[in-house]
Amino acid sequence: MMPTETSSLSRGEMLKRLRAEHGESVERTQQLLREQKRVQQEVCKSIREKAKTVPEIAEELGMKPADVLWYLASFRKYGLVVEEGMCGDYPLYRKAEEK
Amino acid sequence: MTKIHVDALVVGGGIAGMQTALDLGDQGYQVALVEKEPSVGGKMITLSKVFPTLDCCSCITTPKMSAVAHHPKIQLFTYCEVDRVDGQDGEFTVSVVQKPRYVNADICTGCRLCEYECPITVPSMFDRGLGSYHAVRVPFSTAVPQIAVLDIEYCLLCGKCEKVCPVGAVDFTQTPETFEIDTTSIVLATGFEMTDVSAKKEYGAGRLSNVIDPLMMERFLAPTGPYGRVLRPGDGMEPTTIAYVQCAGSRDETLGIEYCSRTCCMYAIKQSMLISGALPLAEVTIFYMDIRTFGKGYEQFYQNAKAMGVEFVRGKVASIQEDENHYPIVRVELTEEGRVVERTFDLVVLSLGMVLGDPLARFGLQPAEDGFASLPSVNASPWATTRPGVFVAGTAGGPMDIVDSIVTASAAASAASAYIRSKTQVSIEEGEVAYV
Amino acid sequence: MSEKPKIGVYTCYCGGNISHTVKCEQVAKVMADQPDVVISRTNMSLCSDAGQSQIEEDIRELGVNRVVIGACAPSLHEPTFRNTVVRAGLNPYLYHHVGLREQDSWVHSCDCDGATCKAVRLMSAGVAKARFLDPLEPIRLEAEKQALVIGGGVAGLRSALDIANQGLRVVLVEKSPFLGGRMAQLAKVFPTGEEAQRLLSELIDEVVQHPRIGVFIQTEVVGVSGYVGKYGIDLLQHGRGVTAENGEALAAGCTQFVPDEFNYNLTERKVIYKPYQGCYPALPAVDWDHYDGESILLNGKKEVLQDQAQPYQLTVGAIVVATGFDPYTPHTGEYGYGELPQVATLAELIRHLAVHPEAKSLRWNGRIVRDVVMVHCVGSREIEGVDALQEDGLVNNYCSRVCCTATLHMIEELHTHFPGLNIFDLYQDIRTYGRGHEEYYRSALSSGTRFVRYNGEDRPEVIAALEGDTHPVLVHVKDALTYNQELEIPADLVVLATGMQPRQIDDLVRMLKVSRGNDRFLLEVHPKLRPVETAVNGVILAGTAQGPMNIQESILAASAAAAKVVSLLGSGQVELQPFVAAVNAAKCDGTGACVEACEYEGAIALETLVENGKEVKRAVVTAANCSGCGACVSVCPNRAIDVQGWTLAQYEAMVDAIAMDIVDLVEAE
Repeated sequence: MMPTETSSLSRGEMLKRLRAEHGESVERTQQLLREQKRVQQEVCKSIREKAKTVPEIAEELGMKPADVLWYLASFRKYGLVVEEGMCGDYPLYRKAEEK
Repeated sequence: MTKIHVDALVVGGGIAGMQTALDLGDQGYQVALVEKEPSVGGKMITLSKVFPTLDCCSCITTPKMSAVAHHPKIQLFTYCEVDRVDGQDGEFTVSVVQKPRYVNADICTGCRLCEYECPITVPSMFDRGLGSYHAVRVPFSTAVPQIAVLDIEYCLLCGKCEKVCPVGAVDFTQTPETFEIDTTSIVLATGFEMTDVSAKKEYGAGRLSNVIDPLMMERFLAPTGPYGRVLRPGDGMEPTTIAYVQCAGSRDETLGIEYCSRTCCMYAIKQSMLISGALPLAEVTIFYMDIRTFGKGYEQFYQNAKAMGVEFVRGKVASIQEDENHYPIVRVELTEEGRVVERTFDLVVLSLGMVLGDPLARFGLQPAEDGFASLPSVNASPWATTRPGVFVAGTAGGPMDIVDSIVTASAAASAASAYIRSKTQVSIEEGEVAYV
Repeated sequence: MSEKPKIGVYTCYCGGNISHTVKCEQVAKVMADQPDVVISRTNMSLCSDAGQSQIEEDIRELGVNRVVIGACAPSLHEPTFRNTVVRAGLNPYLYHHVGLREQDSWVHSCDCDGATCKAVRLMSAGVAKARFLDPLEPIRLEAEKQALVIGGGVAGLRSALDIANQGLRVVLVEKSPFLGGRMAQLAKVFPTGEEAQRLLSELIDEVVQHPRIGVFIQTEVVGVSGYVGKYGIDLLQHGRGVTAENGEALAAGCTQFVPDEFNYNLTERKVIYKPYQGCYPALPAVDWDHYDGESILLNGKKEVLQDQAQPYQLTVGAIVVATGFDPYTPHTGEYGYGELPQVATLAELIRHLAVHPEAKSLRWNGRIVRDVVMVHCVGSREIEGVDALQEDGLVNNYCSRVCCTATLHMIEELHTHFPGLNIFDLYQDIRTYGRGHEEYYRSALSSGTRFVRYNGEDRPEVIAALEGDTHPVLVHVKDALTYNQELEIPADLVVLATGMQPRQIDDLVRMLKVSRGNDRFLLEVHPKLRPVETAVNGVILAGTAQGPMNIQESILAASAAAAKVVSLLGSGQVELQPFVAAVNAAKCDGTGACVEACEYEGAIALETLVENGKEVKRAVVTAANCSGCGACVSVCPNRAIDVQGWTLAQYEAMVDAIAMDIVDLVEAE
């Protein structure tokens, strides 16, 4: 690995500069975060008591099934959601037990 | 500016580049291996199992990844891009840009605490956008090096990762750094990309949610895939009827890609077999014009797939549309029956072809008509580009599968080694052939 | 054993390959309770860098001094993990590998509980053995920095040149009297249209002028002994029969003609001959197989020629097998071949055109050809139960790779030289896969070639036409492109695109102890991990001896082979595994039973030693010659011999562990 030379600017100055340079992406990401938090809350609420399929959740929350699946895949990866059996051709998802 | 001297620079840390670097390193040459992604492994590390042996891909790739990282003769530079190649004839100066990881690579232990703490979820390119990871992450579980990288385009600059890191590795002061590598020879192993799915309007131009590319299917079949199983991305259904559309992006004059991509027949057949294993009730249909299973053991592989019940239908797929429930409808001209039919599937895989990955211009090379590196004497020195001292390994020199990539990689190593010896004062043990 | 064993046990998921069947966590838990085990872990992919780092960390942090890994077959990753433990400062032989994938999960995929029990037994045995592991040192031997390349075709030439250009010495051996192999029989080569013989002669010039390459022509390998780094090779070089002074004159005076196999017997040549103008060496040679022994008139004197064969011996560190292929020869009657003179192979047509370069029209068997039928996949992609068996009782069920492009290339040549020909192309799948190959397909389509797709289970038939018919032969074929319509195509010439066959090199295969695959071509260790190496250390494959390839692919394989030879021999040393017999002199009585049982020359012998003033005989092992087969171990009445790394004590511990009652252990979980 190349020893990355750090900038001569201090950390504070660099963060300030990064904020200025990436203002647009930071703002966009903040919006995205709000959206992700909202979806996470809604999905987790929806499947807290009862395991559901992607189309069921999508219909309930008025979302595109593909988007629901993407979120579920992510929640599964980071341990928020577990798979729990099948309903026909669709796997069921349920909120994971709190650790 | 930091400057490094090596005998060989290998550009690209996919399977071809790793093999070339290992072969040259094993012969005692100093090698620099430059990879633009944060981890080596290339396309191959994203695959599930590989034909014709059906070895799990990790079992073949990860030890090579580990070997390049630990090899005493190989210096590994990840997350670095070659900017320019100056010089000629065995005296090259290559300027390389180290992109900022915003993580101090020397002290990061790969513990992933930053990743777990990061609040923002972004589509994982390792999973072709179908899975996810956080804005700061170790790129994938078997990544080499096991070092986090921060995606500044999705960073909130909230500093949570910085606080949680036990060794203080998060570093927002990093900036792109240019360094130079002096080298005698260069091996290009920059690889391929899949043909552009959006170019083919007739097949939905990438907008149909249950029409996917083959690398997505590889991820579904891999144990570390985004869903942990095979589901169609449109709505999470376990598919029962699956179609493969061959030559979707190759042998197609309308796309300007007239060549055969060599790998698509075999990966489609392989995936069909793996799907049959993962989903015993699934029915797989492959629409093809010619089945090109030409490699060693490949024809038998094809015959096995037929015997396993994979349906091979000779026909040119004219278009793919979807019904109101997003089930893809394949309209196909059955060339053996002389009629056009429409069949609905749960999931369709487009057997996309290969195009050149990284542009060649910064290496001072002109592409051939097909876009890949021009190789002026394929029947004498099929590794030689138009620039002396610059060699090609793997798919930068045209579409090919993993087996062929590995052989070309070793061949390129051989050529580079001979070239280095001819250009430098290697103490050659001269002598007559000895026989008693 | 000096230190107390601290065993680290690692059970790999193998990305699901093992964990889908074997309950790895349970196995790990049981192993954790075994005596001397200090840590027992599982991992998704132990061979990954992260997995290896974990093992290294445990050796460093926990003082693990024996490592047991349950994963894929040892053939795949034993070397990987040996390097891992070495990096952490442990002797590489203090690690034992248990094959949980090939020996367990893959063969018991329907029985998870059974497979888990078996895994526990296998791992317990591994742990039991690990307690008895001793540090070992690999056997380091001087390696001869010289390689033998067998075969003087394009692959052998390229391989020799690349090895020599990387600093090693090479002996190139060619059986026939001329270099160049099969490639010399071609005319223009795809996809560049270059002349094959010109490309070859450039390569041959480089090889024969190279100071580090010695070339033996008309030479056979008749004996192979030794091992990697030091193979003893016996060569037999046949006499050329002529000298530089009298060669041309003898050839001129020679009156005995034989069929010329260079032209597939389409023409005749003298028994003192050169295959083509520009061949190497330029000196004629005597064809000893056909020379009738009659005298030849030279300057008024009668000369009788004799093959004065000369033996040579040499020592090489590695051997490259570049023996090439044979073109498939159809059986008599297969598509009318050998019975109907209008049926020829593609290789024959190439020679025919080369022999008649000035021809204004295509003539075959004395007749102008207007309608040509090309048939693909002759002797390739054969189906058991449909196609006739080959001599060895198998069918050629592989694709020969080159024939599609070669056929379409020929179609382009024919259209260029003989405009107005009608050409039918009977194929199953057109496999113009290479760069620039698809253009020959498009060219054939645009030149009006009529493509007919046949089904491999219903191959075309070639029959003689009735006397007085417009054409001499008729081809019957069902065209899958037009609803299996039955076609009868009258033809003046039928060209069979014959594939590649493995060469008859049985003696060599036996001498080298290499294996063949199901397709009877020589077998590599693994198509991705070691694609040009054989299971015999130091024996490397180049070109079509391994399977069908075109010229470009042969060259690539040959250069890859060169890279492996140089990696192996470049340092002047090779390392062999230390798994060889070792004699405990204190227990040896000198019975000599071991010497009798040993099948390897120079591996074990009785030596006279002086012990307590008395002369005694004791067995002594020469490690480099020992294969570690264990025959001596089993016959020794005193248990005085062990194979290092696989000692009797280790085996007994493993057997005890395997037989242990584990059912309770597993069910209790």
